Amino acid sequence: MAPAARGSGKKKFYFRRRKVCRMCADKINTVDYKDIRFLQQYLVERSKILPRRISGTCAKHQRVIQQAIKRARHLALLPYTSD
Amino acid sequence: MREYELMFVADPRLSDEEVVGLSQDFQKMITDEGGVIAKEESWGKRKLAYPINKLTEGHYVLLHVQSEDSSPFGMARQRMQQSDNVLRYLTVRMDAGRLRTRKSDKPAAEEAAPTVEASTETAAVSEEEN
Repeated sequence: MAPAARGSGKKKFYFRRRKVCRMCADKINTVDYKDIRFLQQYLVERSKILPRRISGTCAKHQRVIQQAIKRARHLALLPYTSD
Repeated sequence: MREYELMFVADPRLSDEEVVGLSQDFQKMITDEGGVIAKEESWGKRKLAYPINKLTEGHYVLLHVQSEDSSPFGMARQRMQQSDNVLRYLTVRMDAGRLRTRKSDKPAAEEAAPTVEASTETAAVSEEEN
């Protein structure tokens, strides 16, 4: 009855644009750990790795990106954390 | 023949000449054991993303090495591990990704293209309940 309760009874549908893996779209298959510019797109502000559910990256490419980020971190090209 | 990439971060307190000397030492160890240096690249002094041993900078040096296997790195790796002048090092096989994707590359590229378009717009038809 109250306007706030209106949506609770039925399922909410969010129609969002389906996210597409950017690497698939650009047909990139390898990532260089030295390409910091590129890797930074996949880091959140605190330098954590952006999850697939946010970036829409496919599993295969997420793995490639993850590997590259970890290599870059080891060499102090990218931070492990930052505030 | 495989291609490897070796990168190390040297102590910022070393002079440029000392870094070159260090790099040459490693190169010699690698060539002595059958590796071929394809490229040497120095990035100079760079700020580290986080401090290592209370240092905030480092000399970055990159080597490309061609070799049958990773055996030429044994000595150099050991030396880098022990040396106080090397903060970090990493050896990576460069052609590994290419080898793995080569088989699936062509069919995947053809199939992937149409599916992307098909799924983007499933229109939002909102049905109001009465």
